[in-house]
Amino acid sequence: MAKETMMTGCRAAAEGAKAAEVEVICSYPIRPYTAIMMELAKMVANGELDAEFIHGEGEHAQVSVVLGASAAGARAFTGSSGVGVTYAMEVYSPMAGGRYPVQMSIADRTLDPPGDFGSEHTDAMSTRDQGWLLGWASSPQEVYDNTLMSYRIGEDHRVMLPQMVCQDGYFISHIPDKVTLGEASQVKEFLPPYNPIHPLSTTNPVSHGPQIRPDQGAPMDAMRAQTFLAVPKVIEEATADFARIFGRKYDPFVEQYKLADAEIAFFIQGAHANTAKAAVDKLRSQGVKAGLARPRWIRPWPTHQLAEALGHVKAVGVVETSTSYGGAMRGGNLIHELRASLYDLDDRPLVTSFMGGLGGETIWPADFEYMAGVLSTMVKEKRTDRYVYWLGM
Amino acid sequence: MPAFDYKFQQLDPIKSFKKVPEAEQYLPGHRTCAGCGPALQYRLVAKAAGKDTIFIGPTGCMYVANASYLCTPYAVSWIHAQITNGGAVASGIEAAFKVAARKGRHKGPFPNIIVMAGDGGSVDIGLQAMSGMMYRNHKVLFICYDNESYANTGIQTSPTTPYGAATTFTPPGKEIPEGKRLFPKNVPQMVIGGHPAVKYVATTTVAHPLDLMNKVRKALSKPGPTFLHILAPCPKGWLFDEKLTPDMAKLAVETGMWEMYEWEDGVYKYTNVPKKYKPVSEYMKPQGRFAHLKPEHIAKMQAFVDEKIKQVQRPIPVAAAVPSKQLA
Repeated sequence: MAKETMMTGCRAAAEGAKAAEVEVICSYPIRPYTAIMMELAKMVANGELDAEFIHGEGEHAQVSVVLGASAAGARAFTGSSGVGVTYAMEVYSPMAGGRYPVQMSIADRTLDPPGDFGSEHTDAMSTRDQGWLLGWASSPQEVYDNTLMSYRIGEDHRVMLPQMVCQDGYFISHIPDKVTLGEASQVKEFLPPYNPIHPLSTTNPVSHGPQIRPDQGAPMDAMRAQTFLAVPKVIEEATADFARIFGRKYDPFVEQYKLADAEIAFFIQGAHANTAKAAVDKLRSQGVKAGLARPRWIRPWPTHQLAEALGHVKAVGVVETSTSYGGAMRGGNLIHELRASLYDLDDRPLVTSFMGGLGGETIWPADFEYMAGVLSTMVKEKRTDRYVYWLGM
Repeated sequence: MPAFDYKFQQLDPIKSFKKVPEAEQYLPGHRTCAGCGPALQYRLVAKAAGKDTIFIGPTGCMYVANASYLCTPYAVSWIHAQITNGGAVASGIEAAFKVAARKGRHKGPFPNIIVMAGDGGSVDIGLQAMSGMMYRNHKVLFICYDNESYANTGIQTSPTTPYGAATTFTPPGKEIPEGKRLFPKNVPQMVIGGHPAVKYVATTTVAHPLDLMNKVRKALSKPGPTFLHILAPCPKGWLFDEKLTPDMAKLAVETGMWEMYEWEDGVYKYTNVPKKYKPVSEYMKPQGRFAHLKPEHIAKMQAFVDEKIKQVQRPIPVAAAVPSKQLA
């Protein structure tokens, strides 16, 4: 029976990478993800993990190193935060289009300017067009579990895509919580070895990435888009298998908390969903039919799963822990895709958004009570007064 | 931990033209210009390296003009890299093969891992990744094929473009008569100067094919990072008759514009040192990229070369690495 210990999200990510027996790791320091690499460095130095631990010269180098390693057949691991995530931007599409199922473990951080160590989802969210798998955990346990699940999903031959496994900086990355690690036999059963389809080889020469003509581009883009149609099934299978082997059951796409009969609901990802759940409990005790939908994946976006889960709700409050200046609703970016998911419903919920948790700020229980008040008013008046509310301002 | 035998290849020197391996690892099917210097050196490098080789091709002429989907010229494995990250991608490949060797998944000789980067991909936008790789002791050969410009994008200046050269970013004009005002970076010195793990750095040109192939083999036989700076003249960018590519390289050596040397375990060995240097004007005259220069500009170039020449050891203290007949 596996032991339960207290550990931070950073340590949980490192333990996940170790359990996955990653072979090439590329490090570079930036707060708050750095501790993931510090933990792995100790594991490698002590002989607990046989891996090449490469000190990259920067985040762009980190992702480039693991691209090469993956192309040559190694399970590869890297990570970053904040402007480190955006500095590496050039390489994300080559990695996704090149079908290198590398994992990037991200403890998110507000983007400059100016320097701000606090959590915000904008860093990884801003890469969402690049073709990676992308999602947030809401606990150190889920970080560990997502690390293993993401390798399993990403390396599946129906997928072959790199994965960004994200956690809230500080709130998850640095606050310890109960984590049960997998036994070696469980990991072995759940996660097969990385089996690349066309690795760089001296016995079977291949070319990766020759130049194409413009007319050859669109079909390749279509193939990449088509792959995402196949991903949800792989996610479902892996999540079910994980539950069977490890005994921890996750909704593959959207965690639903007291949502079945909810009239108002929060749509919220990551750490602050924990506070939201406590707020939902309190609202329920006050007779408010509140619920919560927590997406575990941003890419692939769980479109019809959200329509199913939220379709009956009268008003949805999207909690935006990221910014998208000048976007359609002039707030964050989750609201756009959430509204798109609900658009085709005959009886669409009202939707608004709340900008919170930006810059590393805490979202307080009182904030959720305020949001619930706004949503209840929307339900009563049957209209959306505003699309963006800035919490605390 | 006991030292692991990764089965690094030991490649014997090629003693004469008769002994050059026949097998081609860089085949017809590319779209480079007639007289392309970089393509000439690529063929020689690939031939010298042999079949247990993996090339990393950062964006540049030796990517865009070579690697067309469905008909690349590479008989060995090859991977595209960004112009920014040749050294980093190579580092990852090397690391993957090390682990695969340790775990018994890769049983054969350790592959020759060669970055084939242009001057931009080596010491401009690619400098950081190149330096990182040199610093980290990866067993990779980094080749800078130097055609002295960003040629693939239509001839723009790079840090190795000579003083006075016209490019589309350094066009001569009323305000800037010489075109390019800046003197070039000294590529091999950048590598030698500060990377303690580097095992071997050498310069060569497409006019010295046996020398080039032997320097490739020597580099690949070292157990750590190595660097070759190869002069690969570009008829399109330098504006000379495309039949004269090796002649331009030869003139570069004869005028002192280019030095031939090896740096191995801290020791410099110069070869092909002219007994009497030809004036740089002889090098610049057949090249249209210098056609706009006035005597004062050429004099400035001569002064720069004269300073460089002073660094060269004379007389040659050690016997040349290649048969003297090849020096003619």
